[in-house]
Amino acid sequence: MEKDLVEYIAKSLVDDPDNVSVNMIEGEKSTILELRVAQDDIGKVIGKHGRIAKAVRTILSASSTKDGKRVVLEILD
Amino acid sequence: MIKEFEGKTEQEAIDKAVAALNLDREKFDVEILDAGKKGFFKKTNVKIKIHMHEDRAEETTIDTKNSNTTEIATNSDFEEKVLEFVSQVITKMGYSSKVMIAYRKDNKIGLNIVSEHSAIMIGKKGKNLDALQLLANVYAGQIDNTKKIVVDTENYRIRHEEQLVRMAYRTAVQVKKTKKSKLLEPMNPFERRLIHTALNDIVDVETKSEGEGLYKRVRIVHKSTRRSDLL
Repeated sequence: MEKDLVEYIAKSLVDDPDNVSVNMIEGEKSTILELRVAQDDIGKVIGKHGRIAKAVRTILSASSTKDGKRVVLEILD
Repeated sequence: MIKEFEGKTEQEAIDKAVAALNLDREKFDVEILDAGKKGFFKKTNVKIKIHMHEDRAEETTIDTKNSNTTEIATNSDFEEKVLEFVSQVITKMGYSSKVMIAYRKDNKIGLNIVSEHSAIMIGKKGKNLDALQLLANVYAGQIDNTKKIVVDTENYRIRHEEQLVRMAYRTAVQVKKTKKSKLLEPMNPFERRLIHTALNDIVDVETKSEGEGLYKRVRIVHKSTRRSDLL
């Protein structure tokens, strides 16, 4: 499931895994995942020029193709 | 089933085919597509087409997939963790896979994903594979930032490189013929470097990169046109 996926990746990349939370908002055609991490870890999940965030979104869309639902990842601070 | 192979000599191409398909030499027919015109390019390649006997076709596709599954046991906590990370990500994406170490070379560790969903593992233009590789490298960098992780499945990376170089040669021939420059698709630095080096020793054509950012485009130009531009 996509929520676990984002949570697992985020927890693996940050210094403070206890402060990672993912909130899922399910819509009819798309699911929104809101990712929150500790203030100091935001750079770790976004990366230079958003490289990491982009990779996570790519992985998410590869994951969601099997059930045909769009998944949107938002990183909140 | 038909497949194409290339080598410096006809024999090398056939040997490659035998190795890649895990087939005996008698199990397929060879058709020579391009005998490699002498002196045209400095590196002349012989191109051959392999016609496999149909009844064996299905079996051989499975063989190809398994031919690269030489597994190397992890020899450190670091490798163990990276392997675990990549296979966990794929599992949580909802796909079954087996991730293993395919090779170690200098500071590179090559991971091979064996999965029936390899098309998804690769993605459009290798997008998914690149994303997985990037995440694996970010993760690995926290533990040991001297090591580079290369993520591959079904030898996609080598096949893709060969295809790029072949495409570059083809385009260079066109540029030579028409003397008009050609602009290639946007590519990352590694891919562009492949093109530049592949066309480096071809007379009459030159390569340049155009554009901004990570994904620039290579333009192949005929040398005579460049000279007249300068005059």
